Amino acid sequence: MDERTLRYEKIDFLGEGQFATVYKARDVKTDNIVAVKKIKIGSRLEAQDGINRTALREIKLLQELQHVNLIGLLDVFGQKSNVSLVFDFMDTDLEIIVKDNNIVLTPANVKAYMIMTLRGLEYLHQNWILHRDLKPNNLLINREGILKIGDFGLAKAFGSPTRINTHQVVTRWYRSPELLFGARQYGTGVDMWAIGCILAELLLRVPFLPGESDLDQLTHIFQVFGTPTEEIWPGMKSLTDYVQFKQFPPQQLRHIFSAASDDLIQLLESLLAIYPPRRCDCTQALQMTYFSNKPAPTVGSKLPMPSNITRIEAEKPSLKRKLLENIDGASLAKRLQF
Amino acid sequence: MMPARIGNLPLAAENPLGLSWHDSAWIPLLNPTNIMDYFSERSNPFFDRTCNNEVVKMQRLSMDQLQNMTGLEYILLHVQDPILYVIRKQHRHSPTQATPLADYYIIAGIVYQAPDLASVLNSRLLSAVHHLQCSFEETMSYSRYHPSKGYWWDFKANKPGLPSYNTTNPTPKETSNTPKEEPSTLFQRQRVDMLLAELVRQFPLPVTQTTPNQSNGVTVKMENSNEKNGDKSSDNKVVGGISIKQEPVDPSSVEMANGNSQGHLEIKSEIKQENMKPPPEKKPRV
Repeated sequence: MDERTLRYEKIDFLGEGQFATVYKARDVKTDNIVAVKKIKIGSRLEAQDGINRTALREIKLLQELQHVNLIGLLDVFGQKSNVSLVFDFMDTDLEIIVKDNNIVLTPANVKAYMIMTLRGLEYLHQNWILHRDLKPNNLLINREGILKIGDFGLAKAFGSPTRINTHQVVTRWYRSPELLFGARQYGTGVDMWAIGCILAELLLRVPFLPGESDLDQLTHIFQVFGTPTEEIWPGMKSLTDYVQFKQFPPQQLRHIFSAASDDLIQLLESLLAIYPPRRCDCTQALQMTYFSNKPAPTVGSKLPMPSNITRIEAEKPSLKRKLLENIDGASLAKRLQF
Repeated sequence: MMPARIGNLPLAAENPLGLSWHDSAWIPLLNPTNIMDYFSERSNPFFDRTCNNEVVKMQRLSMDQLQNMTGLEYILLHVQDPILYVIRKQHRHSPTQATPLADYYIIAGIVYQAPDLASVLNSRLLSAVHHLQCSFEETMSYSRYHPSKGYWWDFKANKPGLPSYNTTNPTPKETSNTPKEEPSTLFQRQRVDMLLAELVRQFPLPVTQTTPNQSNGVTVKMENSNEKNGDKSSDNKVVGGISIKQEPVDPSSVEMANGNSQGHLEIKSEIKQENMKPPPEKKPRV
């Protein structure tokens, strides 16, 4: 155990989340930069399984998953009552890029991000795992412009017909209508909806459906896509949290996404289909004409990076970030004491 | 930038130079600050909405970003307040370099694409050549030939006449000319009147009008006259007279009457023997 703790030299503090603190560190053995996620002990209730549940999920799933577009779990080690997870180090994430007004996301850039996200998610779904917390903040991007899906704290195996899942998953703005109506049995559609919201956010540079409560979230959705009827969504009224909504007429997506090409609108429409079974899956999405038409996706090295990473970080390290953000100059290495 | 959107006006894709666009709601409000917004209206066929301007606008970024992008963009090139604005469509390669693709001018709120030099030259050359060709065709129609006399000019003859010379140039233009001149001369009208009257005399209409034994062209006319005049008139000749009067209104049937069918030709020759008698008969009646 001791050699494990000595293996990683802490370089910097990256951020702190609800369940963990994240440090940037150097792997002495391989000389790679890594991110070390130190799981907080948490309350007695959370730790009743012996270990924090989200950490357990991440360890359990990521150990078996290997894909270029999924965050790689490199190592796990414990010290005293703590558990630490060692991940690939990622320089930034999509939320930072979307919010950086100095960056213009060209149609080619958007396509590159979408391809990488869908490839990672396709692999995940093929292995019967739902991510359940897709949002720009969890789409991590490294210096080479490779996007990796991160944060598997809510991920879970799916497909068992008898299993009941909680609907309290996915950050609200990216939550699909069936989750908002309280569905307990759902599938890949919840992730696909989130992908659609992320794509929309890449185009608009603001959250597409920023609901302030769960009901408000549904209002936002129906204001764009129209209030579904029983014909559009059979069985909608039998969902546990179903409430009748005011009738909104559907809007034309091409009016909202004014610069989007037709093939892109088509992709958006099938990702954001109100009726879950009509939503496309990753494989279908990747086969749509949008991905084979021009322009070709930007190559990784040409993708934009926040130019002022260092400045932002120096001013105010974001406590909300879980893993992210690069600080140039890996000097002042310290032993990481866990 | 890809022209992913197939223009909603296929005509515009073929030749935008023949198009204009305006939105009358905007016209009183136009000024240099909103002219680009006006131009980027959804319905404007000249605006490619996959351009950088629209991308930046959709992402709610500053238009200054356009300088740093590559690809298709529109800029306001020239303003002559308040009547004229020139907008340029260009492909940007770098912050300092851009290739112009097209210019559009907005004059009094109406948007046109400024033609390029090649189109102007093309159009002028084409119309010059067209007029030259027309004049040659016209000239050709006056030339006459006879084996013993050789060629000569005959300017007195009617333009449309002598179709045998035109067989070399059976252009659609000439055929379209003929109907124009069809509301015919007084002479022709009188001739037709005469022929018809003669026909009616030779083949009197049966009172019940059940047996049309005349040739095609004539029956058609009789039917017409019946429709128009009803059954009230008892005198066949009067019926014939009225129908003929209305003829000039319908040039195509006159054409038919003037004779394509063989039956007509035969009748004509019969009538020629009797010559000009019928017109004087008719005039007092009408």
